Amino acid sequence: MRKYWLVIKDTWDEILTYRLSFIVWRIRTVFQLLTVYFLWLVLIPQGSQLFGYTQSLMLTYILGTAFLSSVILATRSYEMGENINNGDLSIFLIRPINYFYYWFARDIGDKAMNISFAVIELSILVVILKPPLFFQHDMMILFLTAISITFSIIMHFLFGSLLGMIGFWSPDVWAPRFIFFIIINFFAGMLFPIDILPKAVATFFQFTPFPYLLYFPIKIYLGQLNSSHIYVGILTTILWTILLSVFLKMVWLRGLRFYTAQGH
Amino acid sequence: MIISVSNLSKYYQVHQKEPGFGGAIRSLFARKYYDAKAVEDISFSIDEGELVGFIGPNGAGKTTTLKCLSGLLYPTSGEVKVLGFTPFERKNQFLKQIALVMGQKNQLWWDLPAQESFLLNKEIYEISDERFKKTLSELTELLDVSDILKVQVRKLSLGQRMKCELIAALLHSPKVLFLDEPTIGLDVVMQQKLREFIQDYNQKFHSTIILTSHYMKDVEQLCKRIIVIDRGKILYDGSLEDIVRKYAKHKYITVELEKKIDRDTLAKLGEIKEYDFPKVTFAVARDQSNKIAAKILEDFPVADLNIEEVNIEEVIRDVFSSKNGKV
Repeated sequence: MRKYWLVIKDTWDEILTYRLSFIVWRIRTVFQLLTVYFLWLVLIPQGSQLFGYTQSLMLTYILGTAFLSSVILATRSYEMGENINNGDLSIFLIRPINYFYYWFARDIGDKAMNISFAVIELSILVVILKPPLFFQHDMMILFLTAISITFSIIMHFLFGSLLGMIGFWSPDVWAPRFIFFIIINFFAGMLFPIDILPKAVATFFQFTPFPYLLYFPIKIYLGQLNSSHIYVGILTTILWTILLSVFLKMVWLRGLRFYTAQGH
Repeated sequence: MIISVSNLSKYYQVHQKEPGFGGAIRSLFARKYYDAKAVEDISFSIDEGELVGFIGPNGAGKTTTLKCLSGLLYPTSGEVKVLGFTPFERKNQFLKQIALVMGQKNQLWWDLPAQESFLLNKEIYEISDERFKKTLSELTELLDVSDILKVQVRKLSLGQRMKCELIAALLHSPKVLFLDEPTIGLDVVMQQKLREFIQDYNQKFHSTIILTSHYMKDVEQLCKRIIVIDRGKILYDGSLEDIVRKYAKHKYITVELEKKIDRDTLAKLGEIKEYDFPKVTFAVARDQSNKIAAKILEDFPVADLNIEEVNIEEVIRDVFSSKNGKV
């Protein structure tokens, strides 16, 4: 295990060598957040409701997704596709190290850095904007939120890895990933909660893995789901996680047979 | 026997691109593939402690063979065994005993000091603290890099980086070492240093080393045995001396004349390769060289005389061109 711990630490060190890029990246995130934040602030005046959300719940939702996207969506897995395309995959295959554990460790290093920044940024924003935030006190709900987030992290990693595997068959690894970003924005609840969509659409997406990436954990936190909803949701997440990991393994083994280790 | 390869073939499926925009659109729907035969039906075996050189032009199949041996490529057909393992299965026990160094690939973390990558490999290969310390100090001493281990890799020169790459690859004391173009892009001095290192390493640790290179010098200095490969087929497998004996039909006699003699007179002795007074070089049949040398000494006023083998690069070139039916 120590090797993966070292990978996490090295990733952290590596980000610190590009401090400026990282900070500017975070500033961009803050501005994106502010845009959505003020939009909802204007749409739901104090004391009124929209789509069943009070101002406090919606703003908590928006700031919550901002924080959770640092936890869940921060990833390095896109580098897998590049590894495969330029042949750098070879330097992993030649060593006794699990390629996916390695990248998962890289992700954790990346997330740790992003989370520390997100905490600082959000604290500043909360102090300046004084939003009417909703705080959950029920320990059981907090615990279930944590479980849900854990699986979301794994599931998002699996998606990222699968998108990387495209590199075995095509050099165009970014096109599918951009589509994935669009899906995340709309159907994982990045910009708005999914339940403000028409009911049929929202129900349909309950069966896909996407809402479980962001929307679902926050909904648990906000206390808007009853326990049967929560358990069914967590079970669905676990089911998707298993399916995706089996699929990833299949694709990986097939891809390796295809791999020509070019780029010499 | 450490390595055995029998009837190995590796074909790549290559996507045939049609020219122009229309072609690009068409290829979206119906792609044409053809098999590029990188390696075709080759067999050889290598014993422990051997230092074998793979030589051949670009695209001959050297690197492909190396990649099949190290488990990176899935062979199209044939059998490969290295240390009793099937490389493509990439069992940890196998990976812990081999190393592959590619002159154009870095395993070192670009933004961190080399030391960090070494420590990571220590964990990856599960090397004990004691052994790690010992091996690292041996290697840094042999390669003379102890002062740069704490410098960010991106700030190292190509030669320094290559040395660190070698250290990273050798920390776990691999039994089999694959070197793919280890000296590429290095200056002559650095090339020479690396060669000396590889030689020392082979002798000191008795590891089996397989090396590919474009530079004949690498092979000439390091390898007793060479495998010449072209268009996916082995043209020659044997000792370096034998290939010269077998394929070089000539020897060169270089003479320094004391006074000018006209070309025609000299030409009676043998084919003149070069005449730039006072130096003249003859290409003569191998078995005739002594006789002709004696005759030159007898007939002409000579200040100096030298008999040389044709250089190995020329021999190899002859091997390639004769097999390709150009001679």
